[in-house]
Amino acid sequence: MKPLRIIFALIAFSITTTAAAFAAAELLETGSSLVYPLMNLWVPVYTKAHDVKITTQSTGSGTGISQAVAGVAQIGASDAYMSDSQLGSTHMLNIPLAISAQQINYNVPGLNDVHLNLSGPVLAGIYDGSIHFWDDAKIKAINGSLGSKLPHEAIIPIHRADGSGDTFIFTQYLTFSTPSWKSGPAYGTTINWPAVPNAVGANGNPGMVQACQGAKYSIAYIGVSFLDQTNQAGLGYAALQNAAGKFVLPTESNIVAGAAAKDKETPKDERISLIYGLGANSYPIINYEYAIVNPKQKDAATASEVKNFLTWAVTGGQAKTFLDKVHFIALPPSIVSLSKAQIAEIGS
Amino acid sequence: MATVALSGAEKRRSRVAVLDIGLRYGTTAMALVTATIVFLIATFLIVYSWPAIAFNGFGILTHLEWNLGNQYGTGVEHRGGFTGSPGASFGAVVFIAGTIISSAFAMAIATPLAILVAIAMHYQVPRRLKTPVNTLVELMAGVPSVVYGLWGIGVLVPWISSSVGPFLAAHISWLSIIGSGSASGNGLLATSFILSVMVFPIMAATMRDVLSTFPKIVFEGAIGLGATPWQAVTTMVLPAIRTQMFAAAMLALGRAIGETMAVLMVCGSALNQLPQNVFAPINTIAAVIVSQLDSALTDPTGMAERSLSELALILFAITLSVNLIARVIMRGGDRVKRTA
Amino acid sequence: MNEVTMSGSPVETAGARVMTRGSVLVTIRRNVGWGVSALALCSTLAILLAIFWFVLSRGLPALKPTLFTTVTSGIAGGLENAILGTLMLVTFAVVIVSIIGFGTGIWLSSYASPKPRELVRLLTDVLAGVPSVVVGYFGYILLVKMAGWQFSLAGGAIALTIIMLPYVVRGTDLALESVPRELKEGGFALGATYTTVLMTVSWPYALPSVFTMLLLATGIALGETAPLIYTAGWSNYLPTAHLTHSPVPYLTYVIWTFISQPFAESHALAYAAAALLMLMIVVTNVFARSWLESLARKQRGERA
Repeated sequence: MKPLRIIFALIAFSITTTAAAFAAAELLETGSSLVYPLMNLWVPVYTKAHDVKITTQSTGSGTGISQAVAGVAQIGASDAYMSDSQLGSTHMLNIPLAISAQQINYNVPGLNDVHLNLSGPVLAGIYDGSIHFWDDAKIKAINGSLGSKLPHEAIIPIHRADGSGDTFIFTQYLTFSTPSWKSGPAYGTTINWPAVPNAVGANGNPGMVQACQGAKYSIAYIGVSFLDQTNQAGLGYAALQNAAGKFVLPTESNIVAGAAAKDKETPKDERISLIYGLGANSYPIINYEYAIVNPKQKDAATASEVKNFLTWAVTGGQAKTFLDKVHFIALPPSIVSLSKAQIAEIGS
Repeated sequence: MATVALSGAEKRRSRVAVLDIGLRYGTTAMALVTATIVFLIATFLIVYSWPAIAFNGFGILTHLEWNLGNQYGTGVEHRGGFTGSPGASFGAVVFIAGTIISSAFAMAIATPLAILVAIAMHYQVPRRLKTPVNTLVELMAGVPSVVYGLWGIGVLVPWISSSVGPFLAAHISWLSIIGSGSASGNGLLATSFILSVMVFPIMAATMRDVLSTFPKIVFEGAIGLGATPWQAVTTMVLPAIRTQMFAAAMLALGRAIGETMAVLMVCGSALNQLPQNVFAPINTIAAVIVSQLDSALTDPTGMAERSLSELALILFAITLSVNLIARVIMRGGDRVKRTA
Repeated sequence: MNEVTMSGSPVETAGARVMTRGSVLVTIRRNVGWGVSALALCSTLAILLAIFWFVLSRGLPALKPTLFTTVTSGIAGGLENAILGTLMLVTFAVVIVSIIGFGTGIWLSSYASPKPRELVRLLTDVLAGVPSVVVGYFGYILLVKMAGWQFSLAGGAIALTIIMLPYVVRGTDLALESVPRELKEGGFALGATYTTVLMTVSWPYALPSVFTMLLLATGIALGETAPLIYTAGWSNYLPTAHLTHSPVPYLTYVIWTFISQPFAESHALAYAAAALLMLMIVVTNVFARSWLESLARKQRGERA
């Protein structure tokens, strides 16, 4: 039968073309969709210079952690460090690779080209429904002259429907700045979002961009790697109130300031939140992007490949040519040493 | 005695006899494989969800909230002999409602449409165009579900939010299911529409196929009795292929209930609230499993993952019940027809 | 019959009016019926063309010959690995599902006694309702973790088989059931055994319908993402011939993942993958159809 012959020919073809594929070691990196674009910038450059095969996958921080623990993946990428209860009795390394941030985008016709001031308590009010309209007194109070331009329209809060590191850091900001949110929904990759009538759930950062763009008077939290997208879509972004009370924009210097604030406090296992750091110019929503790695890899060859790649990532990979494309910033030198120390623990 | 050579016919008959037995046992074995697969999945779901069943109790069928609890806190919560994160409470009402309503709407749209299109494909399309048209309709089933989702996000949802919503709201807002239009186009209407487009080709292609193998004599006989062609089709042909139409509809319903990716992209992913009108965001069990699976994996107690598995089990039960009820209705209809 | 005639007495007029009303209604209803069905067909095809246009207008510009010779790399790259992987996974799955599905379908229509038959039919319909992500996770726990296969070709093929199975089983079942009894009885009358009748009469008659369902199921399998993410995983490199311990790339992953990236090149690749996938489905359908037509031509005398 002709179709059968074609099928066999295809299988034979694929076998022959993959005959040479067994030479190099193979690594699987999976996890956070926030780090994925950066991994995709790193891996082609690294694999050109080194004899190793690295496959990258975007599946989500939770999947990254779980597959790294299970040994199905060698590197799990996560926007959140593992909590004590998640670590349990396992010993996993949480190694920061870069620092990312998050902006609050909104779609208010007429105000998208200026930066509104927003604070943690105000955002908490929007997302739990206590603040309904854009011209609410609380929003006006922090916006000075812009306050009079705020329209009397219902706010549409957009949140991530899928489990997400973005939700994790956004809700951490709300938790650290607003006591009522702390005792309420608190933080996590998914939380029990209060039932607000207009609230919409979107999937992935692109879904957030699309939902915000499509719904007038909406507000959304979006990762900084999508800042170009949101600007192109004509969305505005807010200046957020930090722990010092100032309203700051997510510029590179403000993010660097925010990272520096927690520099000294970062412990050896590097599990720390960078949210809401002190410092006049610190942008409040920033976080380490972690590689979750099992210090016991399946064999020595795999372990050394993992170590080599991660070491390159925290040194050569910190070049601006990579990070600028995703608006991440480089790790401070002290953090790089801590990361290197953790990488050294990887064995088999 | 010397061995007797078998004649050609005898050799053929014994060969066929072996084939006979071989085919019988072979196909029975294959049927067993099919049944085993389904049982395996059901067993897996039950065993894997057991901790969640004990932990959630009946609450999962009555609570609106899907709350993983505080995974970054200390301590755990004990219920039913199993542990979850503190404050965890899993309620599936939103997802069950979304699944049933969106599938029902989708089938309501797609089934009559499929019957009409099957009739058109068989009776109205000129012979030369038959193959291309058949191919085109079958192609619709082959469009990947992510592509349907992309089209949904790119074309359908903006259209609903900018045109359909305001139009309906302006003219028939008194109908409570229309309400006051839509904020974003993601919601029940978009989901039902996409689902109906996705399940429609399964029914249309199957029904056309059944129509093409149906003896022409029934149709011609009806015409001979004085019916118009349309009456002949609707009163004689369609009722005769009722069981095949039902089988196709059950497969289509299965796909509608279980469709994941396309629904995920257009449903609006509602959590903790039931839809108030056709434009409100909804969530289905299949879509919520995909969107919450990653979060569930961060729950150190594992209870969230087990609860998602329990959702899948609930869906399994819903599919089973719907299939059983539909079969009973069909059989009841048959019985009525026979006694009439 | 359609003429309006009005004459003298009220009874006659009333009678004429009733007759006209009735015949006008019948005419309208007769034409409306066909008109509606034609409209339905046209709107359906319009939607299909709209979706095709949506994908092809974005994907065709991104289709270059290099897509077929480079692997997915970084934020874009090529699709060679994904194309090969999709072909391998679906081919493997089609082979397995044909064996299991045809066998079960034949058993259902020919050998089964009523109670087991209804049970298996019910089970098959319920299987159609299992979400693809549940099939994928089931495969992940059972095959990737418990059986230790890791991400594998076998796992992905098995997951796709489970997705396709209800369609193939029910399709075979329905097709064999619609074989006219007279044909089969003719065979029996000539002294043929059950198997001979099945193989020489029923199966050839039913084959085109069976094939329609198989094509439908293949189309569905080609477009699946969720089950493969958890069983076949993903690989940036060409798939190996290993059945286990070797992840397999596939086109739907590219669509699902790359559309969510913040780079225009990634979006272009995603749409290219979508366009390629749909072209693959068109080609498969067209080839299978033409093969089916030549088959049906041989049977034309026996078919209604």
